[in-house]
Amino acid sequence: MSVNQLIFRNLKKNLKNYYLYVFALIFSVSLYFSFVTLQYDPAMNETKDSIKGAAAIRTASVLLVAIVSIFLLYANNFFIKRRSKEIGLFQLIGMTKARIFSILSAENFILYFGSMLAGIFIGFSISRLIIMILFKITKVNAIARLHFSSQALVQTIIVFSVIYLLIMVMNYLFIKRQSILSLFRVVSSTEEKVKKMSIWEMLIGILGLLVIISGYYISSKLFTGDFTTMTELFLAMIYILGSVIIGTYLFYKGSVSFIFNIVRKKRDGYLTINQVLSLSSIMFRMKSNALLLTVITTLSALAIGLLSLSYISYYSAEKMAKNDTAGDFAITNAKDAARFKEALAAKDIGFDEKRIEVLQVSANLKNIMDTNLEGMMVDPSDLPLPMISERALKNIDVAADETIFTGYNDLLQKFMSLKDSGRIELKGQTETIPLHYLGLKKDFVISGYFTNGGQPIAIVDETVFERLKKDVNPSIQKKTSLFVGFTLKDESQLEKANQVYQNLSFNENDLYSSRLEISNTQKKNMGLIMFIVGFLGLTFLITSGCILYFKQMGESEEEKPNYTILRKLGFTEGDLLKGIQAKQLFNFGIPLVIGLLHSYFAVQSGWFLFGTEVWTPMILVMILYSIFGILSVLYYKKVIKAAL
Amino acid sequence: MSILAANKIHKSYGNKLNKQEVLKGIDITVEKGEFVSIMGASGSGKTTLLNVLSSIDKVSGGTITIEGKEMTAMKEKQLAEFRKQHLGFIFQDYNLLDTLTVKENILLPLSITKISKREADERFHRVATELGISEIKDKYPNEISGGQKQRTSAARAFIHEPSIIFADEPTGALDSKSASDLLNKLSELNQKRTATIVMVTHDPAAASFSGKVIFIKDGQIYTQLNKGEQSRQDFFKDIMKTQGVLGGVPYER
Repeated sequence: MSVNQLIFRNLKKNLKNYYLYVFALIFSVSLYFSFVTLQYDPAMNETKDSIKGAAAIRTASVLLVAIVSIFLLYANNFFIKRRSKEIGLFQLIGMTKARIFSILSAENFILYFGSMLAGIFIGFSISRLIIMILFKITKVNAIARLHFSSQALVQTIIVFSVIYLLIMVMNYLFIKRQSILSLFRVVSSTEEKVKKMSIWEMLIGILGLLVIISGYYISSKLFTGDFTTMTELFLAMIYILGSVIIGTYLFYKGSVSFIFNIVRKKRDGYLTINQVLSLSSIMFRMKSNALLLTVITTLSALAIGLLSLSYISYYSAEKMAKNDTAGDFAITNAKDAARFKEALAAKDIGFDEKRIEVLQVSANLKNIMDTNLEGMMVDPSDLPLPMISERALKNIDVAADETIFTGYNDLLQKFMSLKDSGRIELKGQTETIPLHYLGLKKDFVISGYFTNGGQPIAIVDETVFERLKKDVNPSIQKKTSLFVGFTLKDESQLEKANQVYQNLSFNENDLYSSRLEISNTQKKNMGLIMFIVGFLGLTFLITSGCILYFKQMGESEEEKPNYTILRKLGFTEGDLLKGIQAKQLFNFGIPLVIGLLHSYFAVQSGWFLFGTEVWTPMILVMILYSIFGILSVLYYKKVIKAAL
Repeated sequence: MSILAANKIHKSYGNKLNKQEVLKGIDITVEKGEFVSIMGASGSGKTTLLNVLSSIDKVSGGTITIEGKEMTAMKEKQLAEFRKQHLGFIFQDYNLLDTLTVKENILLPLSITKISKREADERFHRVATELGISEIKDKYPNEISGGQKQRTSAARAFIHEPSIIFADEPTGALDSKSASDLLNKLSELNQKRTATIVMVTHDPAAASFSGKVIFIKDGQIYTQLNKGEQSRQDFFKDIMKTQGVLGGVPYER
């Protein structure tokens, strides 16, 4: 048999074992290719222009390369290890290492570039779908066309050729280290050293749990006002990140074994078959797996967290736009307002108009400030605030010495929370008026232009308003003090009204706003981010699922002798499979549960609109992981069947 | 009453064109409480015979009855159940689970039976003291010596009080001291518990511990030796002599 024949025979025989490797390759290539196609698609210009979209996509593609190459290197490492026996055999019959390397390289070359072609083809066909999804979520009205980009092709080929070279280097190093002895060593390599549970390890386990809990605790305190200076906040964030990651590692390293050990001690040697296959096998490998599990958990948590955040911000765009406009349209100039009114009337669009005079006054909020604003570069005793008269609002009535604040941003609330009541002072140029502060309302009555994006609005008695109006401090006033808000009577005409608004082509400055417009731009920005984060997150989750699956494949082969023993002793395949299912539930469940927990705390502490939206990413992740879990159970089934 | 009766068992591997007949009609009966050794050269089919007798492998022809139940007619699941209840195993390479401690390994066959934990503990103590491994019960297999591993394996075979115990070259990987140690324990247990043991070995010294030795050559029974009242030393000489004849080299004095 010539060497060429050998290569083909090997390939044919190994393809069955390698189908997952091939899948991983095709998957990575097609993802990368479709993403790069996206990058070069002319239809993308529209989305890219909107924000620094091009930069975002480029960064994402670099990240994608990193994820994919780490994944492929891991997969290759896994698959070459399974062939160490074969390599030893080749050496035994007198082949030089260089020869073996060239055989493996040729084999790999065919496999690798074959799957790459398939991947490019698949990537090309799904790229249109991906562009369609992107357009849909960024609300871009463009038609997605199937567009083959030679630039994308070249870039993909270059990137994957480099990865191929890296893989070859790894294989070379692997073969170089391989000796004929490894032919026999394969068996003994499974006999890892198991050490006894020491007190030290128990301490590590408990420490791990404590560190994670402390991280969670601080994260829930992050925005409650306990950390006020920027440095403190920054340190707290670093601490949370560090403590959660280290805690996760220690948890895997110690806590899991620790908890299992307690269970095992209690059983006093009397283990059921389920426990033999799950508990003891997990404990046996936990120490060597701790790092991998930590990395996977942390990155899954990151992926879930980012996915949820972008998902939430995408879907809260409308709410933000509403707060920002205080109605459907906001105009701050009487002349333009009149023009807009006319135009609307001409189109038969019914609306309510609201005119409010807004003044900026300097307020002393020292007495009602709950948090210490030192270090935030704000002086609470001299804070410029928008002020309106009670006359402007129908259902609010305040006495001459009272005031109510309204329209307060949740985010700002976290940083400078106010007491329920107290004394404040409003300052004009010369006069200072002390007032009773009665509380805070949620409604936004004037547009974001006046509130600087989220400051509360002080509502005062008409007389107070007049007094301050005469005594106003010109240096803190805005260009205009008139707010004209339009709210449509019929919400379904919003699209039409927006068209009118755009046709009038008002001055491109921040003074006016249209709710639909803001919401759409917001969606465009967040949509692209959501798309990229989603793309990367999914890639990451799939690759980490694959890696977990590969690991299970390896474990199942290592444990094959155990299954042989157990089956000889009279345990049926069904008995063993039940134990394996428990084990898989743990192997995939633990990174999933801990990842979800981590991301829950990350999202919850950083986001206040945290709502039902977070379920979608979470359920998605759960489904993904269960698919890989089921796949690995099926693989175990095959191994167990073959064990006797 | 015979506990195991094998009737004209055949076993062949391969397909029709290239058939290799390993067992060519073997009849064996083992009585309760017997300690039987099966001897033969490499390739004589002794391990195949043991595998077939212990239901790990299927016969191509013939019947095997253990405790009146015909094993050859059973389905895979019934066989597994049967092995669990009625058979014990000791293997050359110990076949202990690395992931379990000595005690857990020994208690493994009890895990499906409905035996209370107290009862299981009692049994463990009895068998562990008999085999002298109680002080290593919390150690893992890779922390103990080969002899200890094999005794653990033996304890596992005895713990559920099976009808019959199959041992495949139990001393094959042991040094002579641990080997005779183990065999002494086995024959002790054989007498004390009237446990039935069928052992495959190629070591005449090991075989001399048993009460009966069956010689196999080329898939057929060659001869059978009974220890009877003679001493182990004499029995050993007998075995050596027979083995010499079996190997084609006459034993000379």
